[in-house]
Amino acid sequence: MTSTTEARATARTVTGRRRPRRGRLSDGVNWPLTALAAVLALTVLIPLYFTVITALKTPDQLGGSGFEWPTRIRPENFSDAWNLTNFPRALLNSAIVTVGAVVLTILSNSLVAYAIARNLHKRFFKFLYYFFVAALFVPFPIIMLPATKETALLGLDNPAGLFLLYTVYGLSFNVFVYTAFIRSIPMELEEAATMDGATTWGIFRRIIFPLLTPMNATVGILTCLWAWNDFLLPLVILSDPAARTLPLAQYVFQSQFNTNYTVAFASYLMALAPLLLVYLFAQRWVISGVMRGSIK
Amino acid sequence: MFHLKQGPAKALSAALAAALLTSCAAPPAENEVTLDFFQFKPEAVQEFAGLIDEFEAANPGIRVLQNNVPDPDTAIRTLLVKNKTPDVLTLNGNASFGLLAEACVFADLSQEPSAKEVLPAVQDILNANGRCSDTEINGLPMANNASGILYNPEIFAKYGVSAPQTWDELIAAAETFKANGVAPFYMTLKDAWTTSPALVNLAAQLQPDGFFDRLRAAGTDRNNSPVSFSKDYQEVADKLLQLFKYAQPGAVGVDYASGNKAFADGKAAMYLNGSFAVPAIRAANPDAKIASFPYPVTNNPANTTVVSGVDVTLTMGRETPHRAEAQKFVNFLMSKEVIDKYTKNQSAFAPIRSAAPQQDPALQGMASYFTAGRLDGYMDHQLPPSIPLVNITQQFVLDGDKARFLNTLDNEWFKIAARTPKRGDQ
Amino acid sequence: MTHSSKAFYWMAVPALLLFVTLHTIPALTGVFFSLTDYAGYGKWTFVGLENYFSLFKDDRVLSSYSFTFLFAVTTTIIVNVLALAIAMLLNAKIRFQTAFRGIFFIPNVLAILIIGYVFNFIFSNSLPLLGQWAGIEWLSTSILANEDLAWLGIVAVSAWQSIAFSVILYLAGLQTIPADLYEAADLDGAGYWRQFRSITFPMIGAFFTINMVLALKGFLQAFDQIVALTGGGPGTSTESVAMVIFRGGFQGGEYGYQMANSVVYLLVIVAVSVIQLRTLQRKEADF
Repeated sequence: MTSTTEARATARTVTGRRRPRRGRLSDGVNWPLTALAAVLALTVLIPLYFTVITALKTPDQLGGSGFEWPTRIRPENFSDAWNLTNFPRALLNSAIVTVGAVVLTILSNSLVAYAIARNLHKRFFKFLYYFFVAALFVPFPIIMLPATKETALLGLDNPAGLFLLYTVYGLSFNVFVYTAFIRSIPMELEEAATMDGATTWGIFRRIIFPLLTPMNATVGILTCLWAWNDFLLPLVILSDPAARTLPLAQYVFQSQFNTNYTVAFASYLMALAPLLLVYLFAQRWVISGVMRGSIK
Repeated sequence: MFHLKQGPAKALSAALAAALLTSCAAPPAENEVTLDFFQFKPEAVQEFAGLIDEFEAANPGIRVLQNNVPDPDTAIRTLLVKNKTPDVLTLNGNASFGLLAEACVFADLSQEPSAKEVLPAVQDILNANGRCSDTEINGLPMANNASGILYNPEIFAKYGVSAPQTWDELIAAAETFKANGVAPFYMTLKDAWTTSPALVNLAAQLQPDGFFDRLRAAGTDRNNSPVSFSKDYQEVADKLLQLFKYAQPGAVGVDYASGNKAFADGKAAMYLNGSFAVPAIRAANPDAKIASFPYPVTNNPANTTVVSGVDVTLTMGRETPHRAEAQKFVNFLMSKEVIDKYTKNQSAFAPIRSAAPQQDPALQGMASYFTAGRLDGYMDHQLPPSIPLVNITQQFVLDGDKARFLNTLDNEWFKIAARTPKRGDQ
Repeated sequence: MTHSSKAFYWMAVPALLLFVTLHTIPALTGVFFSLTDYAGYGKWTFVGLENYFSLFKDDRVLSSYSFTFLFAVTTTIIVNVLALAIAMLLNAKIRFQTAFRGIFFIPNVLAILIIGYVFNFIFSNSLPLLGQWAGIEWLSTSILANEDLAWLGIVAVSAWQSIAFSVILYLAGLQTIPADLYEAADLDGAGYWRQFRSITFPMIGAFFTINMVLALKGFLQAFDQIVALTGGGPGTSTESVAMVIFRGGFQGGEYGYQMANSVVYLLVIVAVSVIQLRTLQRKEADF
């Protein structure tokens, strides 16, 4: 951990003297920064407000400055959206694909990255690393049609096949970040466990995997985002209309000459809520996990 | 050995189980045939659901599963790649459909009883987009649109203007409105495709006969081609620019949705869109006053035609295993009762001989042209869809550079001719 | 580690097999089709490198590359600078931390239809009103309808939408910096900037590199937001490479030709990313 010691050294030598603490409000809340965060938050809240009021309007109320409060609120936009997209079904499909993708990804990709990270000195694993990461740069159009045909042939054109694809395609990015993270975990822990007779699998399960919590949370959030909002992969892979995920089902509002914005917005807001909740829940683990890991 | 922790294990098995369950649909009953019906129009889903109920009631033993596909252009291609061509399909009768038809993906419908009921002018336009061979019919038109000029009859009456029959009258009308402070046209230049309706109407009436056939015959020989955009579209370009000079201030940033609202609220006299925009305009303002007339492109009213395309083309997969049942369904959908009901509800024109008269006041201005067969196809259905025609046209309307516009069209056309090798079916 | 290297092979090889089956083989197939005139359906013939030669003669393709580059580089820089700043902000002792973290995440989960509509509206109506009131000429009409400025509008919206992704990664990185480093620096009286330059930045160096490379790669492949905001217009001034590939290859029926475009695209992305990676890792080492 050379960069840590270097940084420590830098902190030490900034000034030779010790001065009493000043300036940083270490115990209280940093109010100037909070205010800044609030101002920045406006750039998000204003468009969000726009979205919400549009979801409450009728099409003839659209226009004007866009920010006017609806003259007549139409809560039926939400029930219309519910019916038109067959929301419960689509939600279930999206949930299956997303949960499957997240769980399978976190379990499998970390494992693969562990194997690679601990063996980069071996040619095979070094090749594996570059092989997986290189695929990050392959644009999706190249694989789109051939993958479509192949998954249909292999009987993978269903939700299970879909979350398998997310897991496999996710290997590129996840191996990249997991490996970087694992390499920062010192080997001493594993060496000690080996001397106590642990197997490699056991070491992964009991030592490495728990330490990966912040990365698991990060990868989990990113995979969740990807799988939940993705349109193209479900479009080309899924054959059965009953298996459609939310983004596909929500396409029903867009026709060539007439887009039903108000109901569409209601629908998208409903689809947004679960994702936001998951994120708020999971992002705590990104922080808490690291605190555990850094206290050694 | 490595085994999953409790929580994730449960979640994963639940997900797997659910996935497998959702992958299995209810198995069909004995001897029951299920037709896979690819339906591309989201706003027609309820309509078709009702029609399917009718059909299934009259035909026990046949089930029809409507599949309203997101992004139909991409979806149909992935279905073809998977060898899962649907049994019955509806598609927009455009160049994309033509390409698929040429590749012999669709069945030959020329022997169907309903094929004889179709207006010849409409069938010709659809066939011109492309078909497997010169004797086949690969698509039957269920509903047509008509691209003309929509106008607000109240504003016209207020200023004593009647529907123009010649080009000069159209320009004079525009001048009258302008002089009285009313926007003659509401232009929506932010959305590139809205420059297209005017272009296709001008082109239909002004381009030389057989323009595209002769262009295709010239192959890659640009210099010796008897026809070209630069040679033959001069007047089209001039008149297009002339029309767009009457755009309201700020038209550059206005999009189609805002345009519909503005026209619906009576902010302009005329609107360069066709029957396809009527439902959207009415949604923006249920009290909108709409009427229509065809583009009077020349000063000779006898030359005036309406540009019409097949909004909903009905066809069958070529290798469908349920041919007899699919034929039944197709003929059912092409029956007079169904077409009359559908076109009335969707503000479209019925492309069959025995069609009920057009009742919608917004569309009556073009109805007689339709029934008399005074129709032309969309010229952009003859262009390879990979040419960004709408963007090129929008560029022209914005900068007025006629030479660049026509040159770009020729450029793109011959570039594609050069890189499309001679295939047997082209 | 010499123990049980067999276990490591068992961990990695099944994934490799799946990956080759589901990714590599389709990729090679796609590359193969770039040597044909396949339309995605129907008959096709082998045409060798002809598609590639046609590519370099196609001015629409070439200008899409130059626009895409301009857009991607600008957006990458903006996103990374802002994301780092926001991550540091969210990491500090501010009130309502969780709420803010949730709020800043929202742009990333909003559907593209919403973003397209909302920002189109804002750019076409709200901002021009502001511009007219303030007397700023170029802001008085819709930026997205201005051939020279439309790309800036797209940059702004893309940045707005993607910052959350980078923020998540930077947050994870910032978490790895032990708090006692800052406390020690505080005791020694180091100012904020000094601490940033000497502690924060070096420690998250790896995350910075990752973010920059991924961001550039992602923005080079921009498609959805451009379609939603300008559709490639005005004219063809904001057409990205991905857009040309999708429109020409799938809707336009020139699949083989656009596969050749995709292969060239792949090579360009790889080259750019490798250069970027080398440069940034060298800077990392300098620290």
